[in-house]
Amino acid sequence: MSVLPAAISPFFTALAAGDDATSTASTALTTGGSSKPILVNESCLEFLMMEMVDLMYRTTADSENDKESVFYKLEVLGYQVGQSLVERFTRDRPRFGDTLDVVKFICKDLWTIIFKKQIDNLKTNHRGVYVLQDNNFRWFLRMSTEGGGAEATKKAVPYLWFPCGLIRGALANLGVVSVVIAETTVLPQCTFQIKIAKS
Amino acid sequence: MSNIKIQCIAIIGKMNNPLYIKNFSTTHPDLKYHYIAHTSIDVIEERVSTSPEASDTYLGLLYAMEDLAVYGYLTNTRVKFVVVLSVPDAVIKNSDMKSIFRKIHTAYINQVCNPFYNLDGKKSIVSKRFITAIDAIGKMTGEEVSISSP
Repeated sequence: MSVLPAAISPFFTALAAGDDATSTASTALTTGGSSKPILVNESCLEFLMMEMVDLMYRTTADSENDKESVFYKLEVLGYQVGQSLVERFTRDRPRFGDTLDVVKFICKDLWTIIFKKQIDNLKTNHRGVYVLQDNNFRWFLRMSTEGGGAEATKKAVPYLWFPCGLIRGALANLGVVSVVIAETTVLPQCTFQIKIAKS
Repeated sequence: MSNIKIQCIAIIGKMNNPLYIKNFSTTHPDLKYHYIAHTSIDVIEERVSTSPEASDTYLGLLYAMEDLAVYGYLTNTRVKFVVVLSVPDAVIKNSDMKSIFRKIHTAYINQVCNPFYNLDGKKSIVSKRFITAIDAIGKMTGEEVSISSP
């Protein structure tokens, strides 16, 4: 079982890294091989996400009552991918000043790399809690159910757990220990709440 | 480009644990470079804490001893790269050192993206691809070497 998530992760890193055409262009040029940047089909990533959540449900015993396990598996997957992404994309940046800079990097640069847009709203209480709001979450754009609003929202929540892990992994690799939870009230809007441990 | 002779490349993790130390010289024993890498940690931390405005990843010459010069580089994820050179006759340009550190960083990024590599563990890196990449950087003597594909 532990091999499976490990096998899925490289696909994510390749896809997410490939989404940012400018960074792959710069690395592709230095290889001296093909001069065209590597681009990845976004639909592939969305299909993979759908299947991954489905897979975690299938492979968890008693997944109806054991949402914690599914959450844990998806989140840990996201954690590893977040770490690798941050390692790759903070390469040429100057160093970060403080935690707020790190969170701003995630809201702007990391979100642009993965979702091609920035976080719409960032709120903080300056005491270690940050709320990130995305009004048009890319992976929710094509989700709907026959039941309508509330039912669709409930079913969409597991798809937020992987991005939670992504944020937590990105923060962890930049030296910030945190806990991330996500919630959604109305599709396609969603919020991520980051609680940073006091050092 | 001057003839740079790399004696040692050391990579130190964010918990100040050694990730990979490779000795390219024939004159000095491995232990000496372990000691050099260890003292470099202190110098790097001191330099970072005293000048927070200078937010550059490349730290330049950390210190020099006898016939060796030690250069440092700190990534945003708090991983430290240390390169030890034997002091040449000509002046070493910053751009040369930066390109060496850039290649090491590329090799490290490729290693981190390996899903079987646990970033939070404290073990050293044993991947063959990483080791060959670092060896290729170390054996370079001033000519352009193509970077391995990401």
